[in-house]
Amino acid sequence: MIAAVVIPAFDLRAALRLRPGLQTRPAALAPQPGKEPLLGSVTAAAEAKGVRPGMRLGESLALCPDLELVEHDPATAEQAWEEILRRLEDAGFAVEPLEPGTVYFETKGVERLYGGLEPALKRALAAVGTIWDGRAGAADRRFAALAAANVARPGQALIVSDDRTRTFLAPLPLTLLPLEQDRYAQLEELGVKTIGQLAGLPGGAVAERLGPAGRRAWSLARGEHDGRVAPRRPATALHETLEFPEAVGNDLTLRRGLGVLVDRLLARPERAGRPPRKVAVWARLVGGASWRRTVTLREPSADPARLRTALAPKLAELPAPALKLRLEVCELAEHTGEQLELVAAEGEVVKGKLREGLRQVRAAVGAGGVSTVVEVAPWSRIPEARALLVPRDD
Amino acid sequence: MVTHPGSARAARTARRLNAPRPALVEAQASGIPRRVNRQSVALVREEWRVVDRWWTEEPVARRYFDVVLETGENAVVYRDDESGSWFTQRA
Repeated sequence: MIAAVVIPAFDLRAALRLRPGLQTRPAALAPQPGKEPLLGSVTAAAEAKGVRPGMRLGESLALCPDLELVEHDPATAEQAWEEILRRLEDAGFAVEPLEPGTVYFETKGVERLYGGLEPALKRALAAVGTIWDGRAGAADRRFAALAAANVARPGQALIVSDDRTRTFLAPLPLTLLPLEQDRYAQLEELGVKTIGQLAGLPGGAVAERLGPAGRRAWSLARGEHDGRVAPRRPATALHETLEFPEAVGNDLTLRRGLGVLVDRLLARPERAGRPPRKVAVWARLVGGASWRRTVTLREPSADPARLRTALAPKLAELPAPALKLRLEVCELAEHTGEQLELVAAEGEVVKGKLREGLRQVRAAVGAGGVSTVVEVAPWSRIPEARALLVPRDD
Repeated sequence: MVTHPGSARAARTARRLNAPRPALVEAQASGIPRRVNRQSVALVREEWRVVDRWWTEEPVARRYFDVVLETGENAVVYRDDESGSWFTQRA
């Protein structure tokens, strides 16, 4: 079976870690600077007053004048999410994170480890931690497991057997399906309010009106096969932090600080000579907010000067003075050095460059970012049956 | 707490290349396309039928048209006889 663990409003919970008192009061994630003034996730107290995620700021303040706006804290959220994933991995779950707050894993191996499906799900929830109010769901399909986790109560594990999948999904709201915001409204105008009602429509008609995303949602609503779990490769925990005695906004000081972090990070023995491929600079800003930028290097390098040159321009994007600066290695290259040949074999240089380019794309966009075309039935009269796009994670 | 409905990442599984995409087609009574995606059809270059997998639970019965639009663009569209819907695809 496939299991999903969901932490609702994870981004808001992470941002409230430093202000736990707000968890029981009406609060919402503030709109992002430079974007539409729409609210992010909201607390239960805010929801009770009619405030909804995605609502316009003006409208929400008119409904709930004492609504507290919380700044986004992407660095804390990312760090907390990584800690949760590591705890799950330490407990034996091979996880595939979907987005912060949602993770999948196969239960086949861990069922035997913990003596059954339910004890395994309980163990997963314990690994997540009670403060996060996680919920678990298990089913034969990814979407059904996700839907089960979404409707479960905090700390509950809901299991849906294969023969009950369609009956279970039928009364659930459409918002569980991965569709664009305006599509929900479009479907509601047509009188389609539940997953069961969508599943009852003819597939061709849904595809014609809603396009490929709608066709996929229809297929999910019918409980059709939606892929297996592809566990991530656990990341290397390598970072160095510099805490300033007072907030620093001066470019020269920040660059010097970064230089120190680069030297310290390159001296870490865990690196075992492997050069960093992808690195991230993180800062804790005055006022409690955080800032983070990642850089994928064109060629993995352990040369401090090259790393400084690649990272230093990012510091100019800091929106406020920093109290803390951290440098993290997101990914290390596999090789420890490059042996140059006197005469390279024909085509080897190009192949090597291509391989390196693909690794760089993969590091930048994540697993599944590079695919190969595999001909499966080139003779077929049906065009889409001739070839497949297969993700390459090697 | 209520989560902001974010975008779910696409599954990392193999997917079909050249999958058909829904098209907006107005056809004449004879079934020949008159407008494709709100553009008039200037010429129908070729027409053919694909009938396959009739022995399975997912039979394929399509009527393909290779057309030239008024903008000079080439397009291949087909009507799925099962659902009655129109799709565009590189043939």
